[in-house]
Amino acid sequence: METVNTQDITVNDLPWKIEYKTDRCTMCGSCVAACTFQAIMPAVERRSVTVSTGHRPEPSQRHSAVLMIKQQNSIENACTGCGMCEKICPNQAIKPVRNPDSRFSLLARKGGSPIKRGGRTSLNSGRTLDNIIVGRISQMTDPALDSERHTFDILAPFGRVLMPHELPLSSVNGTLNLTAKLPPVNWIYPIIFSDMSIGALSTRAWEAIAMATAYLNEKHNMPVRMSSGEGGMPVKLLESEQLKYMILQIASGHFGWNRIVKAIPKMKVDPAGILIKIGQGAKPGDGGLLPAAKVADHVQAIRGVPKADLMSPPNHQGLYSIEESVQKMFLSMNAAFKFRVPVAIKCAASATSVSVYNNLLRDPYRICGGFFIDGIQGGTGAANEISLDHTGHPVVSKTRECYLSAVKQGRQGQIPLWAGGGIGLTGNAAADAFKVICLGANGVFLGKILIQLLGCVGNEHGRCNACNTGKCPAGICTQDPRLVERLDIDKGAQNIVEYMLALDSELRKLMAPIGNSSLPVGRSDALVTTDQAIAEKLAIQYVC
Amino acid sequence: MFKLKSLDGSQRMSTQDLLQVINEAVAAGETEFHIEASGQHDIGGPLWHPEGKDLKFLVKNPGQRVGSMCLEGTEIIVEGSASADVGWLNAGGKIVVRGDAGDTAAHCAASGNIYIGGRAGTRSGSLMKHDPLYAPPEFWVLKNCGSFSFEFMSGGIAVVCGYDSEKFESVLGDRSCVGMVGGTLYFRGNASGISKKDVKIKPLDQEDIAYLDGKMDDFVTSIARSEIRDELSNWSEWYKVVPLRYEERSKTSQTKILPFRTEEWVPNGIFSDVLKDDFSVIGLVTTGVYRQRVPVWENAYYASPCEFNCTASIPSQRRYNLLREGKVEEAYKLVLEYTPFPGSVCGAVCPNVCMEDCTRKNLDISVQIGELGTYSKDVTLDKAAVPKGKSVAIIGGGAAGLTVAWQLIRQGYDVTVFESDSKMGGKLEQVIPRSRLPQQTLSAELKRIEDMGVIFKNNTKVDKEKFSEIRANHDAVVVATGGHKGRVIPWPGHERIIKGIDFLKGINKGKSPKVGKHVIVIGCGNSGMDAAVGAYEMGAEYVTCIDVQRPAADAKEIAHVEDLGATLMWPVITKEVTAEGIITQDNEFIKGDTIIIAIGEVPELEFLPEEIIIEKGHLKVTGDCRIAEGVYTAGDAIKPGRMVDAICAARHAAAAVDAYLTGTAYQMQPKTKIDKNRLSTAYFKKCHSCDVPKADDDHLRCISCGTCRDCHMCERSCPENAITRTLGSDGNFEYASNANKCIGCGICAGICPCGIWSMHANKQPIHA
Repeated sequence: METVNTQDITVNDLPWKIEYKTDRCTMCGSCVAACTFQAIMPAVERRSVTVSTGHRPEPSQRHSAVLMIKQQNSIENACTGCGMCEKICPNQAIKPVRNPDSRFSLLARKGGSPIKRGGRTSLNSGRTLDNIIVGRISQMTDPALDSERHTFDILAPFGRVLMPHELPLSSVNGTLNLTAKLPPVNWIYPIIFSDMSIGALSTRAWEAIAMATAYLNEKHNMPVRMSSGEGGMPVKLLESEQLKYMILQIASGHFGWNRIVKAIPKMKVDPAGILIKIGQGAKPGDGGLLPAAKVADHVQAIRGVPKADLMSPPNHQGLYSIEESVQKMFLSMNAAFKFRVPVAIKCAASATSVSVYNNLLRDPYRICGGFFIDGIQGGTGAANEISLDHTGHPVVSKTRECYLSAVKQGRQGQIPLWAGGGIGLTGNAAADAFKVICLGANGVFLGKILIQLLGCVGNEHGRCNACNTGKCPAGICTQDPRLVERLDIDKGAQNIVEYMLALDSELRKLMAPIGNSSLPVGRSDALVTTDQAIAEKLAIQYVC
Repeated sequence: MFKLKSLDGSQRMSTQDLLQVINEAVAAGETEFHIEASGQHDIGGPLWHPEGKDLKFLVKNPGQRVGSMCLEGTEIIVEGSASADVGWLNAGGKIVVRGDAGDTAAHCAASGNIYIGGRAGTRSGSLMKHDPLYAPPEFWVLKNCGSFSFEFMSGGIAVVCGYDSEKFESVLGDRSCVGMVGGTLYFRGNASGISKKDVKIKPLDQEDIAYLDGKMDDFVTSIARSEIRDELSNWSEWYKVVPLRYEERSKTSQTKILPFRTEEWVPNGIFSDVLKDDFSVIGLVTTGVYRQRVPVWENAYYASPCEFNCTASIPSQRRYNLLREGKVEEAYKLVLEYTPFPGSVCGAVCPNVCMEDCTRKNLDISVQIGELGTYSKDVTLDKAAVPKGKSVAIIGGGAAGLTVAWQLIRQGYDVTVFESDSKMGGKLEQVIPRSRLPQQTLSAELKRIEDMGVIFKNNTKVDKEKFSEIRANHDAVVVATGGHKGRVIPWPGHERIIKGIDFLKGINKGKSPKVGKHVIVIGCGNSGMDAAVGAYEMGAEYVTCIDVQRPAADAKEIAHVEDLGATLMWPVITKEVTAEGIITQDNEFIKGDTIIIAIGEVPELEFLPEEIIIEKGHLKVTGDCRIAEGVYTAGDAIKPGRMVDAICAARHAAAAVDAYLTGTAYQMQPKTKIDKNRLSTAYFKKCHSCDVPKADDDHLRCISCGTCRDCHMCERSCPENAITRTLGSDGNFEYASNANKCIGCGICAGICPCGIWSMHANKQPIHA
C-alpha cells in the first residue's frame, strides 16, 4: 500500500516531467551525474506481479527489484527542462517533457517567497518585429547595392552629436577652426554586447564575450563594443589595451567601482563609453539582484561585498529627478574620464520614456551621449517572476516614439537612440536590428542571444531559466567552479564571433536591397507591415 | 561587300533599322560588311549565312553590345573603341576591338574570341562560362581592366597583357575575381585586390606558356600591334589566376580563438588576479575532483528506526545481520551489551516501542523483536579481563540498578547491589504480574547478573547512616531506588483506596490480597492494567478502569484486560469515594467494592543526605546522571518511565560512573534516525502473515536500515566499477568508491537497500 496524500507534491505538479524508458536505459548513470538540479535520482522499483502461466488459474508470484531513474517530486529539485539528461543519454532513454498540468506556480511560493527566475518574460513574447518586413526593395527604380562587394558604412554614434549650427567653428583667413572642444563621440558597430554583470555570468562566460569583442575588432575590423554590466570590471582588463572596446556600466548598486576608479591612473586607453543604468527592461522598477549562491569569492572581491543576496536599490540613491541625474551622474562620469569618454544612460522602456528623452535633448550642457531604451523582452539573470512577466514596456513603439519626437524638434541623431530587449529573440538579430534602426534607433544592444551562443538552453517557454539558482548546467550563469569548467571559453567566443560575422553579412543583405550604404536610421519607408494596428502606431505602410 | 553608313546628314538610323538592313543583306547572301555606325547596339549577332559562309564585319563607332550573342563564323573588327558589353553572351564569334572596350566587356561570353586592343572597363570578363560541348571562350585585353573584373567568372580563358599600364596599381583593377569559380586568368604586371577567398595566383607552367605563346601572334596581329609581340613575351612577368577548387574553399570564417587567447589576449585571462582557471573543459559527466557529487559509505552513521526508538539504543539491525551471517550466538549476545534483561524486558514487559517505526511495517509487519529477546536468555558475555580495582555500590536492585551493575561489572569494577526486598528485581519481581513475566525468565536473567560477579545484598534497608557508610566504602554510588510510594489523591473517602503498587506487590508475594466482586481501578496506564489483571486473578468478577484522559496503557495491555471482561471509561473525574463505589464530578455513580489507584509512584529518598537536591519528589540530575560528588542515579528515582527507559538511563549512568572513575568526560551521543527515503524496500517481497518466519529467521525480513547488510548491490551495479569491498584485519568489511573512476551518479546510493551511501556535494577545490 502506498501512502500519498492529495496535497503531497508529486511529479505531475512540476513544470517538467521526465519521460524515461526503462527498456532503453543502460544504467550508465550519466544523466544523474550530469543533472545539476538533482531533479533525477537512481532508485529501485518493485515489480511484484502475480501471473498464471498454466491452462487454469495457477497463481505464482514474480518479484523483482529493478534499478531505474526516478524524477524527484520536490519543488526544490523540480526539473527545469534543461535537457542535459537527454543530451548525455547514449540510448535516448530519458528526456524532459513540458507538463501542461503543472501546478508549480501555485506551489512554488512556499515559505511566502515570490517566485524568482532568470530568462525573459514568458507572457509577453508577442513579436511586433516579426510582423514587419522590409518591403521597399530597390528594383527598377534605383539599383540595389551588391551586398557582397559594396562598401558599407555600418557605424553608429555613441556620444553626443551636435547639430551643424551648433558646431563651434569659425573661419579665419579662409580656414575653418574649432573654437571649443566637441563632445566625445565614438562611431561604433550598431550592435553593443550589453550589460551582463560579472557575477550574473560566470567568469568564463563574461570573458568569452569580452574576447569575442576584441577578436571582432582586431581580426575582422568590426568595432563592436561590450558593456560591462553592473558588476564591476576585471582589473586586468581595465589596465589592458582592450579596455577601448569596453563600455563601463554604473548602476544603482555601484558595484566594483572602487577598482575601476583605482585603475583610472593606470589605464593605457580610454574605455569606449560609460553607461549609467537607471533601469532594466526585464524588471523595471526593480534593482539588480544577484543571489548569494552566485556571490563567490572573486565576485565578492571585485564588487567589494560579502556573501549575501545582493539587491541593488531600484533607484540611484543620490538622484531624485532627470535634471539632477544630468547634473550629477552625467557630470561626474564625464569628469572622471576628463570629458574624453562619452556617457550614455539606459532606462527601461516606459510610458514616460519620451518625456525623459525630450528632457535629455533639452539638456543645455550637451553631456548625454546616448539614450538606451530597454524593452520588456530583455533578459535577466535573476528577477522576481512577477516583475519579469508583468512589468515592462515593448521597445519597438517606444523607440519609434522617441525618434519621431526628436524628428519633430529637428533634433534626431543628436542623442543617439539605442534599443534593446528581445533583439535576436527568434535567433535573427540582424533582421531585428535592421528593422529597429529603420524605425529610428541608431543601434541596438543585445545580451541574451550572446549567452545562447555560449550554450544557454533557456527560452521563453519555461525551459531552464534557472540562472538565479547558481546551477546553470552550461556553466554560464553560475560561479560553481565545476559547472564553469563545462564552458569552453574558446568555442563560446568563436560562436559569438561567427554569429556576428554572419550578422554583418545579413545586415548588408538588408541594406543592399533598400539601396542604403550607411545605416538606414529612421528609414521607415523601407518597412511595411501586414498588421494595421502596427502600421498605424509606427507610421509605416500597411500592406496585405 | 556591303557598305552602310548610318548617318545621312543629320539623319541617324535607329538600331532597329540598321539591324534590319543587315539582316536582309545576310539573308540575301552577303558575307562582308563595312558598317559606319553611330552608336547602334547589338551589331554583329546573332547572325548566320543561309549557306553557312563566314560573315565578316568591319565596324566603326558601334554602340553597346557589339557582337552580342555572336555566333561561330562571324568575325567583327571594330576600328577604334567600342562601348559597353562587347561580346555580351558571345557564342562563338571572333570580336576584335582595336581600341578600348567599355564596361563589362566579354560579359557572359561562353565561346569564341574577344580581343581588345586597348583597355577594358569595369566588370569585364564577368560571368564568363565554358560550355563543355565547345571550345572555351577566350578574352584577351592588351592593356588593363577596370575594377570588379572577372566577377563570378566560371569558365574560359582571360588574358590581360598589362601593356602600357605601369601607372595603375593593378592591371585587373580593384576587387578582381570576386566569386570566380572557373576558368583561367593570365595577367602580366602588377595586380592587387584579387579576391583571396576565391582564387589563388600561381606562376606559369609550360602548358600556360605554350598556350600564351601559341595564341599571341593571332592576338597582336588581330589588333594590329605585331610590333609589341616580343615585349609581351617575357613569361617571367606573367601570372596565372585560378579559382580555388571546391575543396579548397573555406566554408567558415576560420575563427581561431585559442591562439588569440594565448598570444594576443590579456595573459592568463582577465580574471587571473582573482580566480585560478586553466580554461580546461570538462564534459557533462566527469570523474574525480570534477564530479558534482561524491559518494560516502556512511555505515552505521544513521540509527535504524528500532535503534532510534529504543531508549536503550539496542541496534537490532546488527543482531539480524549477525543472524544472516550465521553468527547466531554473537547475535544473541549482542543485545546483552545494552541490557541484561532481553528476556524479561524486550521479550516480556516492554511494549517494544522500537518496533513502532520498523521499516518492515510498511511492507507487512515489523520484525519480531520481543521474541528474539527471549532467545538471548541463555547466553552470557565474557567477564572483564582486567579488574579495575575500584568499587561501586548500587542502591536498589531493580531494572535500573541491575543494569548499572551489569554494565560496570563487565568493565572490571567491583559492584555491590543493596536491595531492601528479599529478592532482587525491583518491580520486575515485585509488581509485574507473573502472567506477563514468567518468573523463570527473570530468575535466569538475575542469575546471569550474579554469575557475572555482582554481589547482591538483599534485605538491606538503606537509611541516612547506611548511605554514608556505603558512600565511604565505595568509589562511587548509584542511587536506583525507583518509585515505590503509590500516589493517592485526597478525595473524600480516599482512605478506602488501595494503592495499586501495594496491591500488585501483595499478589507477587503470594499474599493474595482480598478484593470485592466489583473493582474499580483508577488510572489506565500499564500499571492500572496490571492491577486490573491482578484483581481478576484475586477473584473480582467485574473491573471498571477509569481515567481522566485517554488510557495511556499499551494497546496490548488494554486488549488483555478487555478480554478478561473489564470496561475502560474516560474521561471520568472522581469526586468522592464511598463504600459502594465512586461518585464522579458529573454525579454519576460507578459501583466498586474495592477501589485501587494506579496513577504512579514517587520515590522514597529520605535516606539521602541534604546536599542532594530533590525537586517535585524526584532527584534532580545534571547531564551526566550525577546528583552529588561520586553519586549517580538512574531510573524512576529521576522520573517515572518504562523498564526500557530505566535500562537506557542505567547505561548512561554506568558510562558516567566509568568516566568519573577513570577521570574522563562523558557525553551522551545524540542519534540521528535514518530518513526513510534513503532506504530501498522494493527488494523485499511482502510476506503473507502466514509466511512470517520464526523470530530468528526475521533476518530475511529485516531491511538493516542504516547498517550495511553486505549485499554487494552497489559494487555490482556501479556503472564505472568504482566500488570495491575490502576486508580489514579485524574482520570488518568496508566498501569504498574510487574517485578516479566514480562519476558521482549516485547509483550506489539509489540502489542501496539500507541507505548507507550518501551523495555529498564535492567540496574539493578544483584549481588547488
